[in-house]
Amino acid sequence: MTAASNVAYDATEVSKVFFARDGPVWALQDVSMRIEHGSFTCIVGPSGCGKSTFLRILGGLETPTSGSVEVSSDAGDQPSAAFVFQEHGVFPWFSVLDNVAFGLRMSGMGKRSREDIARDWINQVGLTDFEDSYPHQLSGGMRQRIAIARAFATGSPILLMDEPLGALDAQTRLLMQEQLVRLWELERKTVVLVTHSIEEALLLGDRVVVMTARPGRVKDDIAVPFERPRTVDVERTLEFGDLRHHIWEALRDEVLASVEQS
Amino acid sequence: MTARVETPTVDERQRQRTEVAATREMTKARRLRRRDLALAILTPVLLLVAWQIAADTELIDRQLFSPPSQTLSRGAEMVASGELATHVFATVARLLVGYSLGAVLGIIVGLAMGTWRPLNAALGPTFSALYALPKIAILPLLLLIFGLTETPKILAVMITIFFVLQINTLSGIRQIDAGIIEASRAYGATGLRQFRFVIIPAALPSIFTGLRVAAGLGVIVITAVEFVASNNGLGFLIWNSWQLFQPERMFVGLITVSILGALLTFSVTGTEYLAIPWRRADRPARRRRTEKKR
Repeated sequence: MTAASNVAYDATEVSKVFFARDGPVWALQDVSMRIEHGSFTCIVGPSGCGKSTFLRILGGLETPTSGSVEVSSDAGDQPSAAFVFQEHGVFPWFSVLDNVAFGLRMSGMGKRSREDIARDWINQVGLTDFEDSYPHQLSGGMRQRIAIARAFATGSPILLMDEPLGALDAQTRLLMQEQLVRLWELERKTVVLVTHSIEEALLLGDRVVVMTARPGRVKDDIAVPFERPRTVDVERTLEFGDLRHHIWEALRDEVLASVEQS
Repeated sequence: MTARVETPTVDERQRQRTEVAATREMTKARRLRRRDLALAILTPVLLLVAWQIAADTELIDRQLFSPPSQTLSRGAEMVASGELATHVFATVARLLVGYSLGAVLGIIVGLAMGTWRPLNAALGPTFSALYALPKIAILPLLLLIFGLTETPKILAVMITIFFVLQINTLSGIRQIDAGIIEASRAYGATGLRQFRFVIIPAALPSIFTGLRVAAGLGVIVITAVEFVASNNGLGFLIWNSWQLFQPERMFVGLITVSILGALLTFSVTGTEYLAIPWRRADRPARRRRTEKKR
């Protein structure tokens, strides 16, 4: 089976089992999902529902126990998906500039051109004056922006983000959400974003996938109707409230179940 | 706008007051730092003076605790005659060769064990067992094998250093955050490039801790080796001074050995400072221009 040309990822009945000390743990069960090129998909679900695992499987960092993921080869020789991790995963021994340029360096780009691109993205995320600083000299929010710039700088058409804003305080988070919307609307990359926050999913995504408690399955798949370009103002509309309520209704039982599991 | 008379506004006066207070606080902090430094220097100086006085007034036995002035003049004699240089050179040569070989080997083996699982499985338990063995205890065996040459002396140092570095390098790799490894993989750093850009820099702080510990240990081991198995070097100088009952010569040896240890540790710390710029806490981020609003 080959994926249709406008499909970036076609996951079919993906299951993942981990082996813990007291027996196997089903992280994912028969998750099927198609992700189209240029779409922004948000995955929400209770803690431990395997949504991060699914993201890692999409990105090829983990292999599914069973099932398959078709990755479209449309991108040609473009670099594979760029990741933004929950704990940002920036390298403490590299300056901001070297961190942002890291993906390009690994794909063999010369120093001059990769640093030009990296500087551009450092500007985009508002870290202009900090390119020579080391991550430990910066705040958590700034480190997370390094991670986001690093992902965008690879030029990869696909971005996989695992709670990229989860570790931020509420206000910084709002600012970063606005920034993400802006960057995405500029570039129209294919984005899959895992988040805890329903509001964030509705603000950023074209589509919100709700997952069940462990073992993770797709419970609901909701199209987000808001026009682009978007601003945080959509959160004040009636429709936003309705959708948020709808998703919370779907999520509520799962969160309860996940609390009982742990 | 009309020109205004240059009288300080309330705001300005408040700002000035705060600035004055801040300056005062800074001056106070600087004064305290200077006092700490003075105290740190004063303690050994006072101790030496007390020693000198106690020896001069026969409060302590001059035969055993030769006064600093005598040690100093003996030291000057030994420098002038070249005796001290001979011993220093012998010890430094053994120490540096043994230290470098042991460190390089230890780091290489530690890195290999940290990245290649079968090697770690094969060597790990044996090395842990050998680590507990006091390395100086194998000196007689080394002497038996190599005779009274330079080889057993250098080997004793080398083996000691090797284990410290092997263990520190390995634990440095073990402590690498899994998230960092995953991020490096996600960005295409695999194999040798992962080694160069991720594993080595991540393990570097731990390797330098090993190098620092090893510097002190190396001085201990070479001194002990020279006590029994050498007829030159600072260890020999100290031991021989005991046999000849020449305490001031012994003190010269003791002081030289501690200076040697301090210098070695200092150069490791200095290299560490240069090699790990991202660990320096004293370099604040540049913040002169304000971030642009977007």
